[in-house]
Amino acid sequence: MTQSANRSGTVERTGTAVLPWGANGFFGMMPIIVGIGFAVLLHFVLPKSIGPYYSRIVTDVGIAIILAVSLNIVNGLTGQFSIGHAGFMTLGGYVAAFVTYYVSSILWESTTRHGGFLGSGEWLFLFSCIIGGIVTAIAGYVVGLPSLRLRGDYLAIVTLGFGEIIRVILQQTGKVIDPEAVKSATWSQIIPPPVGGAVGFDGVPKYTNLFWVYTIMAITLVVAYRLKSSSVGRAMISVREDEIAAQAMGVNISREKVRSFVIAAFFAGVGGGLYAHEPGVIISPNDAGFQRSFDYVIMTVLGGRGSISGVVIAAAILTALPEFLRDFAEYRLIVYALLLIIMMLVRPQGLLGIHEIWNLRRKPKSPPIAEEVK
Amino acid sequence: MNSTSAAKILLDVNRIGISFGGLKAVQEFSLHLPQGGLYGLIGPNGAGKTTVFNLLTGVYQADTGAIQLSGGNLFGKKPHQITAAGIARTFQNIRLFPSLSVLDNVRLAGQLHNRHGLWHTVLRSRRYHTAEKNLCDKASELLEVFDLQDRAHELASNLSYGHQRKLEIIRALATDPSVLLLDEPAAGLNPQEKKLLAGSIRDIRDRFGVAVLLIEHDMGLVMDICERIVVLDHGITICEGTPKEVQNDPQVITAYLGSGVPGEG
Repeated sequence: MTQSANRSGTVERTGTAVLPWGANGFFGMMPIIVGIGFAVLLHFVLPKSIGPYYSRIVTDVGIAIILAVSLNIVNGLTGQFSIGHAGFMTLGGYVAAFVTYYVSSILWESTTRHGGFLGSGEWLFLFSCIIGGIVTAIAGYVVGLPSLRLRGDYLAIVTLGFGEIIRVILQQTGKVIDPEAVKSATWSQIIPPPVGGAVGFDGVPKYTNLFWVYTIMAITLVVAYRLKSSSVGRAMISVREDEIAAQAMGVNISREKVRSFVIAAFFAGVGGGLYAHEPGVIISPNDAGFQRSFDYVIMTVLGGRGSISGVVIAAAILTALPEFLRDFAEYRLIVYALLLIIMMLVRPQGLLGIHEIWNLRRKPKSPPIAEEVK
Repeated sequence: MNSTSAAKILLDVNRIGISFGGLKAVQEFSLHLPQGGLYGLIGPNGAGKTTVFNLLTGVYQADTGAIQLSGGNLFGKKPHQITAAGIARTFQNIRLFPSLSVLDNVRLAGQLHNRHGLWHTVLRSRRYHTAEKNLCDKASELLEVFDLQDRAHELASNLSYGHQRKLEIIRALATDPSVLLLDEPAAGLNPQEKKLLAGSIRDIRDRFGVAVLLIEHDMGLVMDICERIVVLDHGITICEGTPKEVQNDPQVITAYLGSGVPGEG
């Protein structure tokens, strides 16, 4: 047809090997192995060099990244506006805490830490986090179903309602049974589930440490990036961009929507498990509330929809900043609101927009296409 | 072409209809598109042409009638199933995925027949790499055919209008269709581009072996390339025949020019 004017624009290069961590390792496991190595390093070096207070902040940052990046799969890639992510997180946290607490009680008749680094207690903890993730993924499926019929604000209200339902249900639960009394518990103690009611689930063994948080964060990041840069991710993005056109290209939009909810919920549940076992934290029904969900939404909006690195940066900043501004803690929400308004005015696409940080400086040139996929 | 009546019917549409509330948007629409046929669908604004496309592609569900593609039933199927069965379309108002690159727009359409599961994606297995490579090769090949390969990495939204229209057609072809529905492909193109388009629609038909159904307001283009033309007015088929027959049909002339009906040429 015509020779059109030369325009330049940067391009999100999905599917091309531009990742700093190469995609072609031993069964593609290389990036995760690197991530685990990084986590080991953090675990053994950080607490000694910067002390427990700052290590705790780094741990919180890791958990926030898991939550925000997983939310970004729904909000950023598939474009379904979910504001119930804390509901998923808290559900996963409670399930994981329930498993760890009561299995520890039965096996070891106490709920204190069992075993050292990578000891049996930690494997139980990992197992229960995964159970938490699976249960939450099922909940994600259920919440994802309305997304087939609802759009935008209406779906947001459903997800908001989900978080509130989780919160209210957890408030109605029974008292935590002492570890010694677990084996002789009566049915009336077990139903409703003994997870502490409105005061929160106290006494959960505190297994969460930098190693597990950053290992799981690495897995979350790798999965999120691989989704985004693959056919699966392109199908999700097409749902975000234009549902009618996506269908016309053969994308099953119902499946993509539900699938993104399930994946996001799984990682939220695992992240919740990490949160529930974090030293100094007592997971409580209020964690499922609107405010925490909104924190994660802000991270994804600030980071840029669909930009994994942008969301990581936003999550790190928004988690660390309030710690350093403790004296002004009450003003946090005002600052958040202002930040959002300013972002909407100045940079509505978020910090990095749809790009990844390593794509920013790349000029759009046209390499031979044959080299695209090795 | 007279031989088309003898050719095998590919897309067989029988008396489909849909009404929105009291408005009968399309009634008793029938179409028998043979393999490799190039048919036109015309009519004044609001005649129901795009509605017919939406019925054929499952965006709307027909109330009555039957739709078959090489013997397989398509009535009541979902849009993505219909695309998988072999009907691809373009849109009147361009609907590309603006924040995906040109290459990704085409790859997205290609993955319909090049699937690998979620686990292969997450684990980056060998199967994932082969599938993605096939996709990429196929997409680049298509782009090369249409001379868009040096724009492969540009955002779709950065293309010129003419190129965006072209990309829509490429994207539709990437789904490996047997029937291609083009909704006003010449809209907004200049005369020079229209001329090229007419040639390339024929080329596409021959090269990819697809049957083409074309909605178009540009009568010159339609009369030039279509073998048979269906004329719609107020959702009713008022005429079907060769370009010559259609041009001389009194009802068509009335619909376009005649007594008080707002027509547009």
